[in-house]
Amino acid sequence: MSSELAAALAAEHAAIYAYGPIGVRLKGKAAEQAREAEAAHRGRRDSLILLLSQKGGEVPSAAAGYELPFPVTDEASALRLAIEIEERTAAVWRAALPATEGAERTSVLDGLTDAAVRATRWRRRAGITPVIVPFPGRPA
Amino acid sequence: MNQQNGAPGRSRREVVRAAALLALVGTAGGLPGCGLFEDEPDPPPAPDPLAPLITGALDLAARYEAAAAAVPELAERLRPIAEAHRAHAAELARVTGTTLPTATAAPPVVGDAQDRSGVLRGLREAERAGRNTARQACVEAPPERSALVGSIAAARATHLEVLS
Repeated sequence: MSSELAAALAAEHAAIYAYGPIGVRLKGKAAEQAREAEAAHRGRRDSLILLLSQKGGEVPSAAAGYELPFPVTDEASALRLAIEIEERTAAVWRAALPATEGAERTSVLDGLTDAAVRATRWRRRAGITPVIVPFPGRPA
Repeated sequence: MNQQNGAPGRSRREVVRAAALLALVGTAGGLPGCGLFEDEPDPPPAPDPLAPLITGALDLAARYEAAAAAVPELAERLRPIAEAHRAHAAELARVTGTTLPTATAAPPVVGDAQDRSGVLRGLREAERAGRNTARQACVEAPPERSALVGSIAAARATHLEVLS
């Protein structure tokens, strides 16, 4: 029951880590967008830690470091990673939906929705079209 | 009164009352063949809980298509959203075993095509209502449908982002 939520927590840890190198490569409005995104991920992480602790299940902690899927060397690769991070996070939240119900389902849906909206925001900033996907979080 | 009317009157009332009760049972309980009249049609099957989401998706798609046709400079932004709503309707139809209507209703009124922000505002309102419906449907859905409906709710939120 809680393993899907533990996976969501692991994804949030990874997202927070990734926004470090992403933020370094961005300036102005984009950097601000990265800071907001990182803060949102921290908020989700904290709620998940609380929830999983209350349930008495496994509460995964953050790894010391994460291997990025590709090197972040400039603004373009930073935006690409931000999109990928949000898409991956959305997928993990989506996978947790069937394992939840009621208020917990609502909060998991918020996790999916927020990640999907941020992915769209990043695609817009990167000038990638289409800026939306029909089924956010669904495995390709 | 009952005594004055005599037994035949009372029994007739009882028959009427029993018939009414039976009819109620027939409607609410869906017991086919239990109606008083043999030629009474069976009550229609209860609609799938996701049926309103399908008609909602088709309605939203039609709104975006009409707006894109009326305001060409918005077309590039609106057409992918219309396509997403059509994709949602198709997937929901597949999951619920429903056949999508081939002919759509009359295209919705876009409003004053010169008033670009008014057109966008109308779309935002419809999309926001649709997102709320999908959110509610996701929370109420059985586990095996929750991910699909959740994706649709999230997609509608991303549409609002595109309209902002």
